[in-house]
Amino acid sequence: MNKIQEIIKNIHLLVPEGKRVKIMNVCGSHEHTIAYAGIRSLIPENLELIPGPGCPVCICPESDIVNAIILSKKEDVILVTYGDMLRVPTQNGSIRTEGKNYRMVTSPFECLDIARAHPEKKIVFFSIGFETTTAPTAALLEMGVPDNLFILSSHRLTPTIMEVLVKDTEVGIDGFIAPGHVSAIVGSNAWNVFSEKYGIPTVVAGFEPENLLLGILEVLRQLMYKEARTSNVYKSVVKPQGNKQAQKIIEKYFKVAHANWRGIGYIPYSGLELRDEYSVRDAKKVFMLREVKEKNTAGCICAQIILGKSYPSDCTLFRKACNPKNPRGPCMVSFEGACNIWYKTNAAFTSFS
Amino acid sequence: MSKIEIGHGSGGSLTKDLIENIFLKYLNSEELKPLDDASYINLKREKTAITTDSYVVRPLFFPGGNIGKLSVCGTVNDLLVSGSVPEYLSLGFIIEEGFPLDSLETILKSINDTAENAGVRVVTGDTKVVEKNKCDGIYINTTGLGELVIPLFLMDVSDGDIVIITGTVGDHGTAVALARDELHIDTLVKSDCASLHELLIPLFDIEGLKWMRDPTRGGVATALAELSEKTGLGVEVFEEKVPVREDVRFISDMLGYDPLYIANEGKALIITSPEAADRIIDNLKKHPLGRDASVIGRVTSNFNRVRLKTRIGGERVLDLLEEELLPRIC
Repeated sequence: MNKIQEIIKNIHLLVPEGKRVKIMNVCGSHEHTIAYAGIRSLIPENLELIPGPGCPVCICPESDIVNAIILSKKEDVILVTYGDMLRVPTQNGSIRTEGKNYRMVTSPFECLDIARAHPEKKIVFFSIGFETTTAPTAALLEMGVPDNLFILSSHRLTPTIMEVLVKDTEVGIDGFIAPGHVSAIVGSNAWNVFSEKYGIPTVVAGFEPENLLLGILEVLRQLMYKEARTSNVYKSVVKPQGNKQAQKIIEKYFKVAHANWRGIGYIPYSGLELRDEYSVRDAKKVFMLREVKEKNTAGCICAQIILGKSYPSDCTLFRKACNPKNPRGPCMVSFEGACNIWYKTNAAFTSFS
Repeated sequence: MSKIEIGHGSGGSLTKDLIENIFLKYLNSEELKPLDDASYINLKREKTAITTDSYVVRPLFFPGGNIGKLSVCGTVNDLLVSGSVPEYLSLGFIIEEGFPLDSLETILKSINDTAENAGVRVVTGDTKVVEKNKCDGIYINTTGLGELVIPLFLMDVSDGDIVIITGTVGDHGTAVALARDELHIDTLVKSDCASLHELLIPLFDIEGLKWMRDPTRGGVATALAELSEKTGLGVEVFEEKVPVREDVRFISDMLGYDPLYIANEGKALIITSPEAADRIIDNLKKHPLGRDASVIGRVTSNFNRVRLKTRIGGERVLDLLEEELLPRIC
């Protein structure tokens, strides 16, 4: 028996019969691994692996995207952002369909070249994501940026939204698989609150199927022995304290603020805005952007899916009106979005019985 | 004369100049030369295979090929996987006003080289010019005729048959996606665009060869899903047996594509009886284009649809996707 088979065998042994066990992942790449490797077909039916708020594109508030579209229409502005953000639908279309001057980048550092090549334009970097993408944006600011470069910050904090989910009894999470990439920045200690305060086993795992299965097994082991600890099976990458230097520069340029999550609403202390000292770089202030009232697409249950209350296959639009070419909600856009992953891997149909 | 003008499509003297000075410079079969309304051809066998295809790939030039090479290979491969030896080709060009003539020459040279190599003769053609912005550079339509050697029917596929792929999957789609300006990734990935005549014609003699397909748009997964749908049989695919280049896997992971759904332009999917599988694999591996040939699955009547057995032993369904993920890939 190889190692993976052994882990799977032990998972079967540790899942109590007749009881549902819910383990949530909060990273799109984890859901990606689960779906593509067919992990759900290998585990007991009563063990639920729930995709949570792990896709930064999915939770980016509609208001910020609408403002990005408005900015891209200004003659003297070039809006710059990550590829997936261009296709996220809003009440006013997407950046790609409605925007005018926009560029896609794969790294914030590309903004420097664009800013230098267009000194006559104002370059606005629409910077979104969790701790993983906040760090490079902070590093960009730390390097020193040209006067014509501005940041539209839509950064969010993973631990805060997880705490919201824990308090929501409707979801009833038994354990967390903590995100590997985010943990590399914030450190595995950042999740101690879940094991210590809420008694929920939390395990940091990587992205290879074997490592992820090992993480699931560790959650089950803790549940079996009624333990609640923060464990780390991704030690090669994640340290208890995380990346101190990254934390330092994030702290230097960003402050924690109340933030809007798409479909979910305002959550206290869940986002990051530029500190007041850097107001001259803050696109929200420089361009005096106003909050746009969010409109939900009829039938779209992305918010429920992000909160782990529904699966993509529960949505009446899924695979019908909503597909990757014509996404109706944000979770169908990015390959970190649960709907997109489930669409491409037929995750809803993996039960062959 | 450095760009295509509207007059080049008028049928008048500019058209004549274009045909005689540019097209005939590269395409000069005996059948084509008279430039009459139709060409005369000889067919050796009782039965002939015919196929048509249009090419709108964007960009027109990509690592490993261009729209010209692609249009010949694509058509030739359609004939080959249908059990026929490609003989004749027609070419219809729709060109946008302002298209650079040197690009056209590069495309035509490529067409000639590829056709000569594949043993097909371009025997008839047509050129139309449309106004600027009414098409995207150049589109090519082809018709291919081939002498039918061995008719292959999907209904001959049965329980227990073996599924073979002649090489790595996903190269073409990945190369073309990367050649679009939006992504700034430097890689060595090239389109696999190639004529498969030397690889596939020797297989026609092997008893037990059941059915073939060139898995272009939608990739191997779509070709198998269609097979399953039409036959009512199931297909089991073993992920670890499917050859994927390391860089293609890396890039597709990054872009969120599944190599099994990415287009190929120089591969054949082969269904064979279990008895013939070894001989077919041996034959394929003799040729550089079949070096990575691999048995990737088997046909079964135990279930329907296509099931992928993942590396770790998990299962997921490979279905038809409603939407093409990478439009204008060929």
